[in-house]
Amino acid sequence: MRGASMAERRVRSFSITRLPGFGVIALATFVLLYVPIVTLVVFSFNAQASMSTWGGFSLTWYEAAFNNRQVREVSIRSLWLAVVASGLATMVATLAALATTRTSRFRGQTMIYALINQPLMVPEVVTGVALLIFFAAIRVQTGYSGMGYLVIAHTAFCIPFAYLPIKARLETMDLTLERAAADLYASPWQAFRHITLPLVMPGVMAGFMLGFVISLDTVVITEFVKAAGQDTLPTYMLGQLRRQVTPEMNAIATLFLALSVVAVTIFFVLSRKRA
Amino acid sequence: MATPAPKPASTPAPGARVTEIEIGALSKTFGRGAQAFRALSDVSVSINRGEFFTLLGPSGCGKTTLLRLIAGFEQPSGGTLRIGGREVAGLGPNQRPVNTVFQNYALFPHMSVAENIGFGLRMQRRPAAERRETVDRMLRLVRMEAMADRRPTQISGGQQQRVALARALAPQPRVLLLDEPLSALDLKLRKEMQSELKRLQLETGITFVFVTHDQEEALTMSDRVAVMSEGRILQTGTPEEIYNRPADRFVADFIGDTNFLDAVVQDITATHAVVRLPGGARLAANLPAGGGTAAGATVTVVIRPEHARLVGDSADGPADEGAVLSGQVERSVFFGTDTHVHLRLSDGTPFVVRRQNTAAATPPPEIGREVSVALAGGAVQVLRN
Repeated sequence: MRGASMAERRVRSFSITRLPGFGVIALATFVLLYVPIVTLVVFSFNAQASMSTWGGFSLTWYEAAFNNRQVREVSIRSLWLAVVASGLATMVATLAALATTRTSRFRGQTMIYALINQPLMVPEVVTGVALLIFFAAIRVQTGYSGMGYLVIAHTAFCIPFAYLPIKARLETMDLTLERAAADLYASPWQAFRHITLPLVMPGVMAGFMLGFVISLDTVVITEFVKAAGQDTLPTYMLGQLRRQVTPEMNAIATLFLALSVVAVTIFFVLSRKRA
Repeated sequence: MATPAPKPASTPAPGARVTEIEIGALSKTFGRGAQAFRALSDVSVSINRGEFFTLLGPSGCGKTTLLRLIAGFEQPSGGTLRIGGREVAGLGPNQRPVNTVFQNYALFPHMSVAENIGFGLRMQRRPAAERRETVDRMLRLVRMEAMADRRPTQISGGQQQRVALARALAPQPRVLLLDEPLSALDLKLRKEMQSELKRLQLETGITFVFVTHDQEEALTMSDRVAVMSEGRILQTGTPEEIYNRPADRFVADFIGDTNFLDAVVQDITATHAVVRLPGGARLAANLPAGGGTAAGATVTVVIRPEHARLVGDSADGPADEGAVLSGQVERSVFFGTDTHVHLRLSDGTPFVVRRQNTAAATPPPEIGREVSVALAGGAVQVLRN
C-alpha cells in the first residue's frame, strides 16, 4: 500500500499547490488583503458612530457624506482632475506608442522605452519634491497658482500607465493592415482614421481607465503640489483622519472603492478584447 | 488627395501585346555602408496586359522585394518602373493603380466581409450605389454572397483568401499583385484556389503578378514565369520554355528533377550544337538563348529524367537501339505513376531515368545491372556558363 502510494507520488509532476504550507500562506494573504476592506465596507453601514462596535444597519453615513459640502467639492475636483489628466496622458501615450510600434526600429528606441517608463521607477516622493521646487519657481515668476500644476503633475505621472496597455494592443496588431489600407488608396491619415484608430481604441480606453484610477488614487504627489484649497479626495481623507474619525470616512472610502473597481474592471475587459 | 481613378484595363485585341508593366534596370539596396544588402540588382522585364506573370524563386531571391517595389511599399534605389506607361517611382501605394493580395490576407478585423471588399472603393470616393453594386458583383465572383456580413475571424482560411482577392479586385486595378497567397492553405484547398485564381484572371482580364517559391504552382498557372535568384532574373519564358529549355544551371535545378552532364561542343550553329557526351556518343543539343559557347568548349548539358529511356530492360525495341549512355543501376524509387531509376554512368556521374508505370510495364531492372540509356529527340539542352 505505502509503496504504491510513494510510487504514485513520484510520477506526479511538480505542483506548487502541494508544497507544505501553501494553503496556509494563500489563506493568510487573502485574509490580510480583503478582511480590512470588508470591515471598512461593513462599518460604513453602521448605525453608531463607532468603527469597532456594530449598532445595526443604516445609511446615515452615506447621507452625511453626500450632505458634506467639502466632500462634494473634493470629490468633484478629484474626478475632474482624473479625467483631464488621464485624458491628456492617454493622448500623449497613444502618440508615443504609435511612434514606438508602427515605425521600423530606429536608433535610441530602447532609450525611449526607458524614458517613457522611468516614472514607474522613480519614488513618488522624489517626483513630488522635484515638482514642488520646480512649480514654486514658476509660481514666483508668473504668479499663477491654479489647478494647472496638479493637472501637469498628474498627467506626467499617468503617461507610463496609459502607455503600457496601448503599446501592448498595438503590438498585437498586424503591421500589414495599414499597408493594405494604403494599397487600397487610403492616404496615411485615412489609414490611421479607418484602420489603426478603431483597432487600437480598446487599448486607448484601457490606458485611459488605468490612468484615471492612478490619478484618483495619488496622494503623495498631490500633497506636495497642491495649493491651499486644492485638496483631492485622498488628501482630504488623510487630513480628516488626523482629527475625529467617524464611519463617514468608511462611506466615502466605500464609494471610492466602488468607482475604482468599476474603472479597473473596464480596463481588464478592454485589454482582454482581441485584436 | 491625389488618388487616381484607375480605369479598367481594356481588353487587348487577340494577339496584340500591350505592355502593362515596364521594368528597366531596377535595383534595391537595403541598409547602408558595410551592412548594405542588395536585394535586387539590375532587373529588367516587361509584363504584358492581361498576362498571368509569375516571379518564381527560393526565399530571399528578391521576388517579394520586386513585388513591393511595384506596389509602392518600397521605393527603388535605381532604375525605372512604369505601370500603364506612367513612371511610378516616388508615388505611394495609394497613388498606384495596383492592388495586392497579401500572404496573410491582412483583412481588416473590425469590418465585415462586404466592408472589407468595399474599402478601396470607399477610399476612392466612388458613389454609394456604384460601391454597393461592385461589392455585390465581387461577392458573386468569389462565391461569398452568403458571408457578406460575417467578420473575417468568423470565416475559414480559404474564404478569407477569397475575400482578400475580392477586396483587391473591387477597385478594378490595372495590375493585381499576389504575394504567395496560397502558401497558408492546405494542399487540397491550394489546388482549388489555383484554378479559382486562373478563372478570376481570365474573367477579369486584369494583369496578375504572382509571387511563389512553388515551381508546380508557377508552371500550372502562369502564362510566363521569371525565375529569380540572388536579386536577379535568370530566365523569363513560358512554363514550357523554362522547363524544357532552362538557360541556366540554377533554373534547371530549381524546376523539376534533372540530370547534369559535362559535354564537349564539337560543332556549333546559331541555335544548335553537336556535343560529345561522356561515353563518347555525339548528339544534337539545343543552345541557350544568346549562345555564348564555341566549338571545343566544355559545357554542362541537362537532360530531364522523363526524356531518357532505358534500353534492353523491356520488350520495346531491340537491345541497343539509340543507346547513347551506359551505366549501372544503383536503386529504384517508386512514385506511383512512375519509378525513378538511379544510375551511375561509366564515368561516375549520377543519372536518373523516369519510367512510366503503365499497365504493361515490367519491373525495373535490379540493382547492379548494366543498362543503356536512349534519349528522346531534343532532350539535350546546353546551359549558359
